[in-house]
Amino acid sequence: MTNETETAEPTQAGKHRTPSYRRKRKIYAGIAVAVMIIYSLLTLIPFYVLGVRSTVPTKESTTLHLWIPEADEVNLDAQVGNLAVFYDLDLADFKEAIGIPPTVFLSARTSLRDISEEYDIPEAEIRSFFSGFYTYNGWRTILGDEQFYGALGRTLLITVVSLVGLTILSVFTGYGLAGLRRRDQRIVYSTYLLQMVIPAMLILLPQFLVIQWITNLIPGFSDPGMTRVVTQLASIVAINVKGTAFSVLIFTAFINGIPRELEESAMIDGASRMQYVWRILMPLIKAPIVALVVVQLPLIYNQFLEPFVYLDPRNSTLLPYIQSTVGVYSTNFQVIYAAILASIIPLMIVYTVFRKMFVKGALAGAVKG
Amino acid sequence: MGRTLKKTASKAPDAATSSNQPGLKSLERRRILQDWAFISPQLFLFVMLTLVPFLFAIPILFTDMANFTDPSVNNVGWANFTAIFDNPSVAADYFPALKRTLIFVGLNYTTVYIFGLSLALLMFEFGVRRGFFTIIYMPLMLSGLAVGYLAVMLFAQQTGSMNLFLLDIGLISKPFDIFSANGTRWILPAMVGWRYAGFNMAIFLVGLLAIPTDTIEASIVDGASYWQRLTRVYFPQMWPSFIIATTMALIGAFSVFDELVAMGALYVNPEAKLLSILFFTYGFQIDRLALGMTLAVITSVPLIIVGVLLLRLQRRLQY
Repeated sequence: MTNETETAEPTQAGKHRTPSYRRKRKIYAGIAVAVMIIYSLLTLIPFYVLGVRSTVPTKESTTLHLWIPEADEVNLDAQVGNLAVFYDLDLADFKEAIGIPPTVFLSARTSLRDISEEYDIPEAEIRSFFSGFYTYNGWRTILGDEQFYGALGRTLLITVVSLVGLTILSVFTGYGLAGLRRRDQRIVYSTYLLQMVIPAMLILLPQFLVIQWITNLIPGFSDPGMTRVVTQLASIVAINVKGTAFSVLIFTAFINGIPRELEESAMIDGASRMQYVWRILMPLIKAPIVALVVVQLPLIYNQFLEPFVYLDPRNSTLLPYIQSTVGVYSTNFQVIYAAILASIIPLMIVYTVFRKMFVKGALAGAVKG
Repeated sequence: MGRTLKKTASKAPDAATSSNQPGLKSLERRRILQDWAFISPQLFLFVMLTLVPFLFAIPILFTDMANFTDPSVNNVGWANFTAIFDNPSVAADYFPALKRTLIFVGLNYTTVYIFGLSLALLMFEFGVRRGFFTIIYMPLMLSGLAVGYLAVMLFAQQTGSMNLFLLDIGLISKPFDIFSANGTRWILPAMVGWRYAGFNMAIFLVGLLAIPTDTIEASIVDGASYWQRLTRVYFPQMWPSFIIATTMALIGAFSVFDELVAMGALYVNPEAKLLSILFFTYGFQIDRLALGMTLAVITSVPLIIVGVLLLRLQRRLQY
C-alpha cells in the first residue's frame, strides 16, 4: 500500500493547496452534484409515472402521458348497463347525482342520450358526472373495495405487533448474550448468524411443513372462524419476531458497550434483572432500537410471500390482496397501478415524516451489516 | 414473553436474600439460568422456524411426497437427487431456471457496485447530503411486488411509459419488452439494483467513513492519484463492507421472488421463472413437493458454504 505513495515526487506534495487544484476540485464537486441530481431524478421518476399512470385509462395506455389526462367525453350512446359493469357504477348514486327520482327503474339498455332527453337533463351535466369515473376509475375501484381496508388493517396490525415483539425479544436476546463470555452464549450467537446465509427460497417449503404441523394441533383451526384467522396471523408474526442475524448482532454489540457497573449498582439497589432491562437498559439503547425498526419496518410492511402462503385470501394482507386484484382486473392497468400506489402511500408518509431516523438508522444498521 | 417475565420476577426476591452469603458458584449458575430466561423465547421461535424445518425436511427428500396433504408417501431413495440428470422434464425446468438465476445474480452483483459503490464514493468525497440520501434510499420503502409492477409499467412493450418516452424523443427505435428473454434479463437486475441502491450505498459509505482520515490526507499530500487512493487506501480498508455487500447480494439475489411474481412468473411469463419460482411452483402448484425441496437443497448447499466462508473471512478481518 505504501510503495507508490512513498515514491511519489516530493514536489507534488502540498499540491492540494494550490489554487489550480482548488479550482479543479470545485469543478469536480459541481459534476458530482450534477450526477447526484440526475440519479435522484431517476429515482423519483418511477414514483411520478406511477402517480400519472394510476389515472390513465387503460385504452389510452399506449400513448405517452406526462400528466393526469384530460377527462375524455363519455359516449352518450353508451348503455347504462354496460357503464355499470365497466365503471363499477352504482346506479342509485348515479340517479341521485343527476336528479332522477330513486324510484325510477332504469333499464340496462337505456342509453345516456335517452336519459338526457327523457328527464330533460343537460348533456354537459351527465358528461361532468362521468369525467371522474374516467380519470379516477382505478382509485374508485380500489378505495371503494371493502377488502382493501380489511387488508390494510391486517397489514398494519401485523406490522405493529411484529415490530414491538421483535424489538422486545431482540433486546432480551442481546442482553442475555451481551459480552459473549461463555461458550453457550457464543453458540447461540453463531446460530443466529447462520440466518444470514440461509437463502429464503430454501426455507420456504420446510417452514410451511412445520407451521402446518403446529397449526393443525390447534383445535378449531380447520374450521373457518376466529381461531383460524388468529392462528394464521400469529404464524406470520412468529416468523417476523423469530430474530435475525442483524437483530442479534446489533443488540449484542450495543449492550456489550454499556458499562457493567451500571447493572451492578442497579442490583445493589435491589432491582431485578428484568427491572434493569425495562427501566435502565431500554432508554439507553434507543439508537439500535431505532435502527432495527427502520430497517425491519419496510420488510414487514411489504411482506408478500409469507402472507400469500399462510393466510386465507379472505383474510389476507395488503400485498396478496393486490396480487389477487391484479388477477381479477388483469388488463385494467388503471386499477392495478392505483392499487400499487395505494399500497405504497402509507409507508411513504411514515418515511417522509421520519426521514432523519431512517437515514440515521440505515447508517447505524450498515455498520453491523 | 409473559412466561419469562413471571420467571425472572419470581426469582428477584430470593436473588436479593441469597446474595448475602454468596456461594460464588451458585450465583454464577443463577446468572446463567437468568441469561437463558432472556434468550430462550426468541431462540425457541428461531430454532422452531429456521432449524427444525430442516429436520422435518430431510426424511421427505427421499420420498415422493407430492404436496403438503399427500396421504400416500413412498420411499424413493435417491431418485429426487438424480432427477435433474435422469428425468428430462425436471432437467428442462431446472437448468434454464438455474441459468437465468445465475445471470441475474451476476448482473445484480454488478449493480451493487454501479449504484451502491459509486454513489457512496460521490457522497463521501463531496460531503454526505441528507437530501440526496433520503431520495436514493426511498425505493427501499417499496415492496418487491411494487418494483416488479413498476418494471412492467415502465417497460411493457406497448404500454411501458419509459418505452413510449424513449421512442418519443428518438433515443431508441425499438421498444424494450419486459416479457422477452432479453428484456427480463436486463431490466430485472436494473430495477432490483435501483431498489437496493440506497441500502448498498449505506454499507459502502459506512466503510468509507470508518477509514482514518490521516491515511487519506497522507496519500493526498504524497500526491497519489485518485485511482491510487481508491485501490491502495480506500479499498483495502473497506473489506468488511465488500464482504457484507457480497454476502447480502449473493444470498438475497438467489431468493428474489416478489418482483418475479409481479412480472407474471407464476403464470404468463416463463422468462421470469427463476429458481425460487420453480421451487414455489413445485411445492404449491404442481404436486412435486419432495422434488422441489430436494432441488432447493442441492442448489443451496454450495451457496451456504460460500456464505459461511465469507462470514468467517469477515470475522477474521475484523479482529
